[in-house]
Amino acid sequence: MRILLSWLRECVDVPGTPEAVAKTMSVRGFAVEGIEPVGDGDAVLDFEITANRPDAMSVVGMAREVATAYGLALTSAAGSGHSADPDTARPKADAAASDIDIVLESPELCPRYVGAVADVTVAPSPAWMQARLQAAGIRPISNIVDITNYVLLELGQPMHAFDLATLTGRQIRIRTARPGEALKTLDGQARTLTPEMLVIADAERAGAVAGVMGGADTEVTGATKTIVFESAYFNPLSVRRTSKKLGLKTEASMRFERGADPNLPLLAMTRALALLEEIGAGRARGPILDRYPNRRKPASLRLRRGKILGLLGVAIPDATVTRILEGLDFRLTPDAEGWQVTVPTRRVDVVREVDLIEEIARHHGLDQLPSTFPALHAAPPPADPRLARARQLRAVMTAAGFFEAVTFGFVAVDAAATFAADGDLVPIANPLSENFAVLRPSSLPGLMAAVAHNRRREQRDIRLFEIGNRFSRSGGERRALACAWTGAGSPEHWEGGARDVDFFDIKAIALRVAQAMRVDAVVEPHREAWLAPGRAAALVAGGVRIGVFGQLAPAVAGRHGLSEAEAVYVMEIDLDAAERAGAGADLTVAPLPRFPSVTRDISILVDETLAAAAVRTTIEAAAPPTLVRIREFDRYQGKGIPEGKISLSLRLTYRSPERTLTDADVQSAMDAVLTALRAQHDAVQR
Amino acid sequence: MPDPAIDRSIIETLRANFRARLSSAASDRDLKALTDEFLSRKSGSVTALLKHLGSLPADAKREFGQLVNTLKGDIETALADRRAALDDTRAPAGAVDVTLPARELPMGRMHPLMRVRQQVEDIFTRMGYEILEGPEVEEDYYNFEALNMPPDHPARDMQDTLYLDAPIIGGTWGAHRGALPEAQVRAATLLRTHTSAMQIRYMKTFKPPVRILVPGRVYRRDNLDLTHTPMFQQFEALVVGEGITLADLKGTLEALVHELFGADAKVRLRPSFFPYTEPSAEVDISCRACGGSGCGVCKHTGWLEILGSGMVHPAVFEAVGYDPEKVTGFAFGTGIERMAMLKYGVDDIRLFYENDIRFLEQFPL
Ligand SMILES: [Zn+2]
Repeated sequence: MRILLSWLRECVDVPGTPEAVAKTMSVRGFAVEGIEPVGDGDAVLDFEITANRPDAMSVVGMAREVATAYGLALTSAAGSGHSADPDTARPKADAAASDIDIVLESPELCPRYVGAVADVTVAPSPAWMQARLQAAGIRPISNIVDITNYVLLELGQPMHAFDLATLTGRQIRIRTARPGEALKTLDGQARTLTPEMLVIADAERAGAVAGVMGGADTEVTGATKTIVFESAYFNPLSVRRTSKKLGLKTEASMRFERGADPNLPLLAMTRALALLEEIGAGRARGPILDRYPNRRKPASLRLRRGKILGLLGVAIPDATVTRILEGLDFRLTPDAEGWQVTVPTRRVDVVREVDLIEEIARHHGLDQLPSTFPALHAAPPPADPRLARARQLRAVMTAAGFFEAVTFGFVAVDAAATFAADGDLVPIANPLSENFAVLRPSSLPGLMAAVAHNRRREQRDIRLFEIGNRFSRSGGERRALACAWTGAGSPEHWEGGARDVDFFDIKAIALRVAQAMRVDAVVEPHREAWLAPGRAAALVAGGVRIGVFGQLAPAVAGRHGLSEAEAVYVMEIDLDAAERAGAGADLTVAPLPRFPSVTRDISILVDETLAAAAVRTTIEAAAPPTLVRIREFDRYQGKGIPEGKISLSLRLTYRSPERTLTDADVQSAMDAVLTALRAQHDAVQR
Repeated sequence: MPDPAIDRSIIETLRANFRARLSSAASDRDLKALTDEFLSRKSGSVTALLKHLGSLPADAKREFGQLVNTLKGDIETALADRRAALDDTRAPAGAVDVTLPARELPMGRMHPLMRVRQQVEDIFTRMGYEILEGPEVEEDYYNFEALNMPPDHPARDMQDTLYLDAPIIGGTWGAHRGALPEAQVRAATLLRTHTSAMQIRYMKTFKPPVRILVPGRVYRRDNLDLTHTPMFQQFEALVVGEGITLADLKGTLEALVHELFGADAKVRLRPSFFPYTEPSAEVDISCRACGGSGCGVCKHTGWLEILGSGMVHPAVFEAVGYDPEKVTGFAFGTGIERMAMLKYGVDDIRLFYENDIRFLEQFPL
């Protein structure tokens, strides 16, 4: 809120430069977002007013805060600054003849409505008034409209003026809208109202949306001779809902929805009528009408010294408590434990004892508090193992050359659809843009985009990973580790050995992750729409698929801004499933072998379509338990090997925990292995 | 040639000549040439002198012969020494050129946001906090209502929320402490706008005292620009127990800031408003660009806002079944991006989400 310092100074004689005032008020809860000099040492201070303080959205409201911050008194110009007893200011009766009849049909939605009729001569307002409005960022319109805005700025009470001649039946009815009722608002928009919206109507039709905006048909114009001033208190929730539904936010609606002061409308009306005469714009005709069936009484709260100490960690002297709260217009009655405090009705934010303590802390100064440290009264609970896991995986992946990426949790529908089963996406109801339309079913679309970004910037060799959540309608929110690898598998070196990434590189990563998580996993062939056929595999533990990896299907790479010609290998592991399959943290060390091992190499000819895993399974089944390791060390196809066959060389290692194996032991084991390979795979030893 | 019996200076000239040549001999080739020049059987200059000895009278022959032989011996010794010195500098068999490039050992980097997050986690671990992650999709009750933001509360406008078009199950949390199924997200309708939602889940599940730190991703309906992203990382601390005060909050914040930004960073608490804390305070640190004297970065205030904080609102305690007459607590939270931008001098938040390797590799291992 923009406030002219000289106007503020009429209400409180605050010393110092605009910068000094700004600095002081910033640490009292009113940050100053800008200082705009306007000549003669005067300036406009742009205060940031938090949503809980509608009462401070006025010159007098801010003056009250400044006065308390500086230990000053408010001047008489702020006259109405402190709560007048609502009763004394009340008009005796509006029995005297009035030119208007006010009918309050919905006291729930409009607890108070004050109206007054005045004869006016519409003209521009005086220069001083226009200058003050302009300093606050409000455009001067005419003396009548300007008065309403001036009172809004000075006291914080939104007002409105109707042209009496436009009100059918000389009547103001505060009622809810009729179904389908239409109204053209002051901004020229035609609005269709709904029955929960409150309107200000004449005998026949709606003339304003209560607390939000006036209607074009009842607007004060150059031809207006008689007006009705409105100064009311509307239900905050009702105004908020109406404003939201109409998509219409105004100075008035902003104040009403945060909570205005029900005891301000009459004071504001008196002020508006006085201004009317002061600037020669007209004079009141007849009495002020005040419809206020259920007068709002100020709340009373208990404030205990012990609670102040308990919450702030420091005792505040009684005199300080009294000075601060009375400065802010609270009334205090001492009792044994502290005080009974009457809360001014404008302070909608103060409903509990802690709210009073906040006022004390605020004006005592948070910089005055000591710095202490909370004591531990119980042992810290066990750590969440997930965090340690994330750190471990981060170490594993970075050590394997991968850079950690962080990508958004939502992606475009087409990017997501590739990685999800039909209908298993989670759309966002109110997305910002098409690029953020659904929650990601996988981190891979985000990683693809990051790979593409890097490819466009002269990076050829890219390894990225991300640890994060993915979402599906069927599975909800699940944690995953994903990675993408393109370019060099083995980096360039002057001695040679450079090659591009291939399937067995990404397989190594998948197995390394499984190893890190102590998952006993096997790799099986797999089909996945987004992976290249024949170059896709699943990581399986205990019959459960915990991850998928392989070469990204070239068409998918192409859709994500990558070249179809360059292979991208990817992996995604479900961390929740892997965690369940893992051996956990408990570990018992095995004794080291006491006897030497014996190795034997064999080379066999088998069909090229035979999986290495099948050979291994056959060997494991045929060999005695002394077989501890099988390693394929060569696979050859070509010259000297019949068509459709491969030569596979394996190294078998035997070891007994009980004794040194003899040649005869190993030979009989090898005979059994070869017999089985011949029988099951027609293998021929070379 | 002159009579050597008379001119002994020829020996000294030869010696001086040899010394001068030896001092510039730096290779095997130079040494070979030197050896040939002075000692070669056919044309060596010392050899030539020896050949002349026969033509001398016996006296002169003995005397001059001794001198020439001494010269020859000196030259041979000097050449051998120099050869030995050269041998010492010679590369041994199998030597490599150690100045050739190394084989590349690929090494990735942790993301800078995770770096800051881990640093924060470590600081709080040392202070006895329990570090927890919560679900990213949430129920309205936990994200807003129980945090003293009932439907239609104006403060909801402060955080523009992204909603799901139909509810889903959220991620699990607290399994290691036996958090019950009731503590989990069963029908999430929105993306959490802050990690504060975990305050409620935790307090509804566990009794005080509470001392937790919740890092994680949060979502807002904000467009991408220099300082905003629709998803960002937060961390949130919550401490609840008997006798927890605003002064404790202040001390804790100072400890955090000093760890993250150095002991000379000044901390300022400024009263503010959050629906779920009372009193509430924004936390500023002295501007890192100007040291507090005022500059463009801090809008000439000398301060940079880094955190929101406050004492837990009694309405929040009531919502989770804690007695606000018995316990008090503080909470604070902030965006990790903001911390990282300040720490590393990053002026565009989008850099964190482009994952450009040239950016990522600037951070240490
Ligand atoms: Zn600065």
